[in-house]
Amino acid sequence: MYKVVLEQKERVSPNKELLFNIIAIIVALILSGIILAFYGYNPFTSFAGMFKSTLGSSFGFSETIVKTIPLIFTGLSVAMALNSKVWNVGAEGQLYIGALFAAWFAIYFPTLPKFLEIPMILLVSMIGGALWAFFPAILKMKFKMNEVISTLLLNYVAISVLDYFVYGPMKRDDNFPFSKDIPPEAVFNKIGFQNVHIGIFFALILVIIVYYVLKYTKFGYELRIIGSSIKAANYAGINYDKMMLFVFLISGAFAGLAGANQLCGIEFKLHSHISDDLGYTGIIVAWLARSNPFIIVAFAFFMSSLIIGSEALQYEGIPVAIGKVMQSLILFSILGSELFKNYRIKLKRG
Amino acid sequence: MQTDNNLIVEMKNITKSFFGNKANDNVSFSLKKGEIHALLGENGTGKTTLMNILTGVYEPDSGDIFYKGKKLRYSYPGEALELGIGMVHQRFSLIGSLSVWENIILGNPKNKLYLNTKKISQELEQYAKEYKFQVDLEAIVDKLPIGLKQKAEILKMLVRDVDVLIVDEPTTVLTKQETDNLLVNLKKIAESGKSVVFISHKMKVVRRIADRITVLRRGKLIGTVTPDEVTPEELSMMMVGKQSGALLERKAQLDQKKILSVEGLHVHSDKNLLAVDSLSFELNTGEILGIAGVSGNGQTELSEAIVGIRELRDGKIWFKDIVINKLSVKDKIAMGISYIPSDRIHVGVAGQRPTWENIGMKIYRYKKYSNVFGLNRKMMKEYADEIVKKYDIIQPGIEFPSLLLSGGNLQKVIIGREIEAESDLYICEYPTRGLDVGATEFVRNTILELRNSGKAIILISGDLDEIFMLADRIAVMHSGHFVSVFPNGKYDVTEIGLMMSGTLEHELQVNKGGKNV
Repeated sequence: MYKVVLEQKERVSPNKELLFNIIAIIVALILSGIILAFYGYNPFTSFAGMFKSTLGSSFGFSETIVKTIPLIFTGLSVAMALNSKVWNVGAEGQLYIGALFAAWFAIYFPTLPKFLEIPMILLVSMIGGALWAFFPAILKMKFKMNEVISTLLLNYVAISVLDYFVYGPMKRDDNFPFSKDIPPEAVFNKIGFQNVHIGIFFALILVIIVYYVLKYTKFGYELRIIGSSIKAANYAGINYDKMMLFVFLISGAFAGLAGANQLCGIEFKLHSHISDDLGYTGIIVAWLARSNPFIIVAFAFFMSSLIIGSEALQYEGIPVAIGKVMQSLILFSILGSELFKNYRIKLKRG
Repeated sequence: MQTDNNLIVEMKNITKSFFGNKANDNVSFSLKKGEIHALLGENGTGKTTLMNILTGVYEPDSGDIFYKGKKLRYSYPGEALELGIGMVHQRFSLIGSLSVWENIILGNPKNKLYLNTKKISQELEQYAKEYKFQVDLEAIVDKLPIGLKQKAEILKMLVRDVDVLIVDEPTTVLTKQETDNLLVNLKKIAESGKSVVFISHKMKVVRRIADRITVLRRGKLIGTVTPDEVTPEELSMMMVGKQSGALLERKAQLDQKKILSVEGLHVHSDKNLLAVDSLSFELNTGEILGIAGVSGNGQTELSEAIVGIRELRDGKIWFKDIVINKLSVKDKIAMGISYIPSDRIHVGVAGQRPTWENIGMKIYRYKKYSNVFGLNRKMMKEYADEIVKKYDIIQPGIEFPSLLLSGGNLQKVIIGREIEAESDLYICEYPTRGLDVGATEFVRNTILELRNSGKAIILISGDLDEIFMLADRIAVMHSGHFVSVFPNGKYDVTEIGLMMSGTLEHELQVNKGGKNV
């Protein structure tokens, strides 16, 4: 009889970790290929199509970048909360409310010159997102309510709120469930590469700010103590409740920015499908990146290329559901590779 | 006399290195059937490592292990326990969110798919009674004080029928009476034919219980002796290599002022039960108030209430003539209240963070180290280097997580940080628990030095010797209030021991026929 035995590895070098991630992706592609072949599609042409539609053409590449931007915002949102041991799974809802606030401001308030209008929209969307995060924060603070439940449920409320506005007060005159277009002053400029807009700069600036704040400020230091031990933080005179509330609001504000970005950079009007799971994907991005702001950019890009790539498979006649299956397989492979990263697997005679 | 056939465990020439440091250097160790074999040595001398090798936690770099005459090679971690080698670790391996009984039965192959909770509880009660272990089996482990957690941990092993029981520093959290109790029980276990390995740095306890003593120093085997062969002095020499120094002198205090007074204090525990029950006392500058008591009688709740981590239910606390009930922890730190908590790794430091961040935990708010925009990392690291040097903290580097430090050095990090913060009141909870001779001496001298320089100190300790050594006044705490407060020297160990279990002062005097009045 042989037994499979797991032995903990002492240390894993970053290079090896990267290697494991790459192997995991290859394994996932092989598995996806088998599924594609099973359904009668040629896996090689399908993969070639996927690659061409993301990294292989300048339009595909630009689309991937466009999709990366909101994922950076939502990734940062979730990561920020995780730093103080709070699970904000409500980035989706906070994004909706951020977009709603931004649209309301852009359409119904007097239009300002562009250099004022855009900062104001960003600010208003942050307030919207923060407001939506405020409810679960206060519920957690006062009544110890679990934030995973409250933020998740509030996502559905947010979608309904948005629906109410686009089907009701904000509905366009032609009776489609859309808002009016936002004024041109509110539209994010293109930077000269296909559809890529200045949102990319906002996202990257935010990445640098978050990195700086976490590493070099008193606030970041206090967050790190909290992240390691809430008891130690309380002992050191750091008010956990206050910090948690504050971090929750920041987290919501970042998700709200993703909403403004979708509105002013891509859609130009409010409707029910303005997010398309960006908030949930942000959880995955933050988790894979271990909450490190720079690595969030890399994984946001990775997730974005997966999404764009699998959408492109539709043009080959392959159902979009198979694209979703591929996304899941890749995620599972990366999660599964954790086992190989941390353990040596041996066969022993038992 | 027993022959070699009686050996149940034999470890030959064991060597094990971590990152180039030899934790065990060619150590041999043997264990006879039915004996209590003590492993004696200061902290970080490789006692625990040796036993971790025996139980398969680590694989030795070289050397052989024989168990019941057969060569031992483990293929999975649970194997040692199945073979009958059980270890009670110093750092608890309990699951905090589960109750005591759930922890005890966890992973025990005796229990099948269906759990007959009633029957199991009854069995456990039986064990608890037999070994006089008073643990609330229904209690959630996280909410138990450290002393009770340890009891649950020992009970957990007792329930498994092991042939070799290894206990790692079991007495550090127990009171004198509890220790006596434990030693009697361990002897009983040994008499029933089981072997006990008793890891400790406490010479006195070891001499009382062990059939043989193996002394380790800096990973090397110094020798194996029987307690009768050597004098305490010789044993101490074997252990530390030098004679331990004396305590600092205690200066007479002239200019004492009242600094802290507590009146009618009520505090609840995590379980929402009354933990501190209408407690009142006063404390002067330049005074050490020793609080003696079995852990779990409200000591932690009392200190947490003064420091501000725990909410008061009723009562008033004055510090420097100001009522501080409503002040935040941060304000109290600024006013000069320092706390050296019993739970070093979770409360005293943020373990996963580097040592420089932990040393800076009190001073980072000073203007010198931070402003609104940034934290001066360079200055904070320089400060940490200073503290490391001044307090002789042995550590791999200030960028490494603090949880890599040994108990004594971790305590030095905390003590160094608190002393340099220059507070006026120090609440020291079990400050020398688990520390070796050198570190204990250092901590005690530091506390005396603080007292001599006019600071007020509350010393909570389970070690009565320590309280006798340091305290000016002694308060005995039992179920949330002080049974009695008296000057050091009025009562002896036995009398205080009785009071710790709830006997009132006047009952004591009746029993003793008025002695000491």
